Amino acid sequence: MIDRYDWPGGSEALWRFGPAAGPVVLLLLPPFEEANRTRTFAVGLLRALAARDIGAMLPDLPGQGDSLLPTEAVTLADWRSAVAALAAATDRPVITAAIRAGALLDQDAAVAGRWHLAPQSGARLLRELTRIGIDRRADIAEVGGNRLSTTLLDELETATPVTMQPLRTVRLGTDPGPADLRLDAAPLWRRSEPGDDPALANVLADDLAAWSRACAGW
Amino acid sequence: MIAQGSASTEETVRAVLRDVLGLSDERAAAFDDSTLLFGALPELDSMAVAGVLTEMEDRLGILIEDDDIDGDTMETFGSLVRFASAKAPA
Repeated sequence: MIDRYDWPGGSEALWRFGPAAGPVVLLLLPPFEEANRTRTFAVGLLRALAARDIGAMLPDLPGQGDSLLPTEAVTLADWRSAVAALAAATDRPVITAAIRAGALLDQDAAVAGRWHLAPQSGARLLRELTRIGIDRRADIAEVGGNRLSTTLLDELETATPVTMQPLRTVRLGTDPGPADLRLDAAPLWRRSEPGDDPALANVLADDLAAWSRACAGW
Repeated sequence: MIAQGSASTEETVRAVLRDVLGLSDERAAAFDDSTLLFGALPELDSMAVAGVLTEMEDRLGILIEDDDIDGDTMETFGSLVRFASAKAPA
């Protein structure tokens, strides 16, 4: 079901999945190119969660997807405020499920728990963006086909994934970072042509459903 | 310095190419020293090159400056493995 949510800077689209009661997973895609590479996979994951009787929400972030806000007007503070507003407006226990740099966005949200898949720091995200090509002008930088505010770039430089508990971190076997669960799979977010991995989505849905129930006591 | 990649670096580079370019296991397994990459693999466009370099950094724990890369670095699988081996701690 397509819905909308309000945040202090406007209103954005929201896709709802699964049952209307019990804990609800708020999925945060990584910004920019990786959102396109992981969206199909993420929707498969949320459908698999629904099959396990866990509801989910997939929001457009301000300045991304179908948002009316120009990308160059958005800041990291806006994204965090939008995620916090959506969590606050949800009358159910919320568990954020963040993919990659999506893990930079849930720090201000009051949630029952967090689940991060291959979390990425803002500095690493910036490094990837600049490798694709950066063209810094006055207040706007063009990076890999996106026009971004220098405020956003400055914020990303120091942003790190939230470490507030309860937090569960899942990483791929090729990723040396600390993890609660490690799975052998290919990183879909790197694939130059968007792909999918329904088998991985099913394994992750089991993990995320159990984590959501544990966090919500449900 | 020995210009041969260690087996693990070679396998890491092979896996990075497979994962970023979406190649089958069979195709990636067939790569050898002289397999042509940039200009020969249609999947390896400039965006994919950026993904390959960044994923190599993450998996090998190395830093690659753009100045380190020249036209020969990605010419063959062998040249890319030698480049990665020279960067990676022994």
